[in-house]
Amino acid sequence: MSIFAGGYAGQILFVNLTDGSIQVKPLDRAFALNYIGGRGFSSRILLDEVKPGTDPYGPDNVVVIAAGTLSGTPTPSSGRLVVAAKSPMTGGLGDANSGGYWSPELKYAGFDAIVIRGTSKDPVYLWIEDGRAELRPAQHLWGQNITETRQLLKEETGDDDIHICAIGPAGENLVRYACVATDEEGVGGRCGIGAVIGSKKLKAVVVRGSLDVRIADPERFKKMLEAYRETLAGEVWTETLRRLGTPNLTAHRQSHGIWGAKNFQRATIEDYEPISGENFRKKFLMKPIGCMGCLVRCKRYSAVKDGPFAGIYTVGPEYETINALAAKPYITDPAIVLRAHYLCDEYGLDEQGVGSTVAMAMELYERGLLTKEQTDGQELVFGNSEALLYFIDKIAYRKGFGDLLAEGTKIMGERLNADYYAIHIKGLEVDATDPRKQVTRALTYAVATRGACHLRGNPYIDEFIKPEEAEAYFGTAAVSDIEALEGKGKMVAWSEDWVTISDQMGLCKFAWYRSRSFPMLIKRGLELAKEAFTSATGLPMTNEKLYECGERVYNVEKLFNVRQGIGREGDYPPARFFEEELADGPAKGCKLDREEYDRLLDDYYEARGWDKKTGEPTKEKLRSLGLK
Amino acid sequence: MGRQRIGYFEDLQDPEHICSRCHMCELICTFHHHQVGNPKRSRIRLISLDKGMDVPVTCLNCEDAPCMNICPTGALYRPESDGMVTVKEDLCIGCAMCVNACPVGAITLDPVDGVALKCDLCGGDPQCVDYCPANVLKLTDAERFARHRMRGFVKSLQASGEEG
Repeated sequence: MSIFAGGYAGQILFVNLTDGSIQVKPLDRAFALNYIGGRGFSSRILLDEVKPGTDPYGPDNVVVIAAGTLSGTPTPSSGRLVVAAKSPMTGGLGDANSGGYWSPELKYAGFDAIVIRGTSKDPVYLWIEDGRAELRPAQHLWGQNITETRQLLKEETGDDDIHICAIGPAGENLVRYACVATDEEGVGGRCGIGAVIGSKKLKAVVVRGSLDVRIADPERFKKMLEAYRETLAGEVWTETLRRLGTPNLTAHRQSHGIWGAKNFQRATIEDYEPISGENFRKKFLMKPIGCMGCLVRCKRYSAVKDGPFAGIYTVGPEYETINALAAKPYITDPAIVLRAHYLCDEYGLDEQGVGSTVAMAMELYERGLLTKEQTDGQELVFGNSEALLYFIDKIAYRKGFGDLLAEGTKIMGERLNADYYAIHIKGLEVDATDPRKQVTRALTYAVATRGACHLRGNPYIDEFIKPEEAEAYFGTAAVSDIEALEGKGKMVAWSEDWVTISDQMGLCKFAWYRSRSFPMLIKRGLELAKEAFTSATGLPMTNEKLYECGERVYNVEKLFNVRQGIGREGDYPPARFFEEELADGPAKGCKLDREEYDRLLDDYYEARGWDKKTGEPTKEKLRSLGLK
Repeated sequence: MGRQRIGYFEDLQDPEHICSRCHMCELICTFHHHQVGNPKRSRIRLISLDKGMDVPVTCLNCEDAPCMNICPTGALYRPESDGMVTVKEDLCIGCAMCVNACPVGAITLDPVDGVALKCDLCGGDPQCVDYCPANVLKLTDAERFARHRMRGFVKSLQASGEEG
C-alpha cells in the first residue's frame, strides 16, 4: 500500500537490462514533494545517475519513463508522459513528451516511473501488469514497424487493452533522432530517446493496469474539475484547437512571416493555401481526437481518401508535422506531407529531425556543397517530394546517403564542413518558428535545457500582459511592451519554471498553459494545478511552493548540462539568425543582433541566479532551492 | 418516456460530433461511483478499433434483460422507480454469468471489488453525458434513439439527392 493518500501509484520500477534484474522501490515522500513527478522525476534521476562523459548509447546511460503526477486521475488533459535520457543529439539532458493514454495506464499498473539501466544482449520487451514486471524476448518484434509491433503484441498477449510504448526500425538502427511511440496517438519525438532505447535493445514497454489511482479529497477534486471546465468555456484558444488542431498555427506563421521555410531561407510560403490548417481540415479530417480525459481535443484523426496515397489513416498532422515536412523541404502537396508523416510514425522517426536534416541537405545540394554522387543519384532540391519520401526510408535503415542524414544536422554539418547551414541549438534542430523577428523567442529556444525547443518556456506573455500585471509579476511594466528588452530575462525565466510544472504534473500545455489572458495563465497553470495536486495527492502545496518546484527542476537540468560540458556557448541561436535577414514577408529585414542578444542572455542569467560566464547555477541559487 | 439508457448520438456528417476517444466518460464514471481513477471500473467503456473507429459501450437496459434473468442470486433486479437494471452488491457472488449473458458486454466484474458493475444512470444525472466534450452521449430511450437513427438515414438520402 502506497504511503500517499492518492495521485501517486507510490512505486518506481527499476530494470537492469544487462543482468535482467527487476526491482520495485517505494516512492519517497520528500522526493515527490520536491520534484512532483514526470519531468521532475526524470531530470533529477538523470542528474544522480548519469555521470559526465557517459556514452549516450552505452550501458551507463539511463532511460527514465515517468508519468505525470495527475496522470490516471480524471484531471482533464493530464495524461502526459516524459521519456528521458542523456541525449545522443545534444550530449546533454534529453527528454521527449507524449500524450495519449499510456501514462495513465502506467499508473493503473502500479508505477509512477520506470528507471532503465544497462544494455540487453538480445532484443527484449518489458511487460508490466498490476505491480509486477518481467522482461520477455522480442527477437520476433525487432525490425517491425510501429503498427506491426503493436499488432503482434496484441496477438501475443491476446489482449486488446494493452498500452504499448515502442520504438521502430529507426530506434533500432540508432538514427540519432529516433522517437518513441506511445500507442497510436502519442509520439515522444525529440532528443533521440528512441535511439537510446534502441541501443539498449529494448523494443517496447507494454503496460496493463487495473489498480486504482486514488483521490485524497474527492470533494475538493470535483470542485477543481468544475472550475477547470469553466475556464475553458470562454477560451477562444480552445475552440481554435478543436477546429484546426495545432495546424491552426500555419495561418499565424504565414501572416507573421516566421515559418523557417527552406532551411530558414524563406519566411513565408508562396503556395501556402494547400498546407494551411484549414485545408488539412477540409480535405483529410475524420474527427478531432482527445488524449486521456481531454476536453479540448486538439489531436487530429485524418484519412487520405483518394489519389496515390489513398488508404492512409493516421493521427495527425500537427503543426510541427507541417513545419518539418512541408515548410522546411518546401513541399506543398498535403497528401505528400501526410504520407511522409505516416512513414515517420511507422519507422519511429522524429519529424523535425527528418524535415530539418533533409532541408539542410537540399540547401547544400543547391549550393553545390553536395553532389548527385553523394546523394544516391537523387536530385535533392527544395520541393522534390519524391526525394523526401525516398530518404525517409533510407534514413530509417541508414542506407546510402540516408546514413549521414540519420546523424542530424549538427554532425552532417561537421562532416561536410558546412556548420553554418546546420540550424540547431545544442545539437537539436530548431522547430516551430523562425525567431529572428522576436529576440525573446530566440532566447527561449536557445536556453531551453533540451536543445532548441518552443515548449520549454512561453515568451509570448508580453503580447497580452497588462502593464499593471507586468509590474506586479516582473517588477516592471516594460514587460508588457513587446519592443522593450527590460524585464524580459525575468519573464522568460518565469515562464520556463511555470511550464515546467505542466511537465511535472503531466498536464497538457495547450489545455492548461495557453491563454491570451495573463490572469488565466495564473489561474489554470498555478492555482488550479495546485488544487488538482493537493486534492489528488493529499500533500500540502501552495502556488509559491509549486512554482519553486518548477524552478528547482529547471536548475537541476541546467546543472546536468553544465556537468556534461554545455556552458554559455550552448545557449546561442545558430549563426544564420545573426548574419542573415529574413528575406521575405511582413518581417522582412529582421535579424538578431549579437550585442542585444548578449545583453538579454546576461539579463536572463541574472534573473536565474546563474553565473554569466559559465551559465552554471550559483551556489546561493542551488542552496535556496535545497540543492546542496 | 420508455426505459432509459445512455445512447451514442454521433453525427457522421460532422467530425466534431463523433466520439473523439478521450475516455472522459470512463474517467468520470469511475470517479463518480468509486472516487478513484481507474477506467477498468467504469460502467461505460470505450472500444477503439482501427481507422479511427471509437464507440462508447454501456448498458442498453434490455426489456427482457438476460443479465437479470440469468443471475443466480437475485443480485440483479429492476427497481420500478427508474426501470434500470441495478446491482445489489451484497447479493452478488461475482460468478460473471451476467457478463456472459449480456449481448453487448456492458456488464463487467469490478477488478477491485469483484462484483458486477453496470450503468445505473448515476441516479438520473449521468456524469458521462454531462462531461462528454463531443456531446455525443445522451440520456435516451429506444424511441428517441430510433428517431435519431432515422434522421441520420434521411439526411444521407438528402445528401445523395443533392449530389445526384
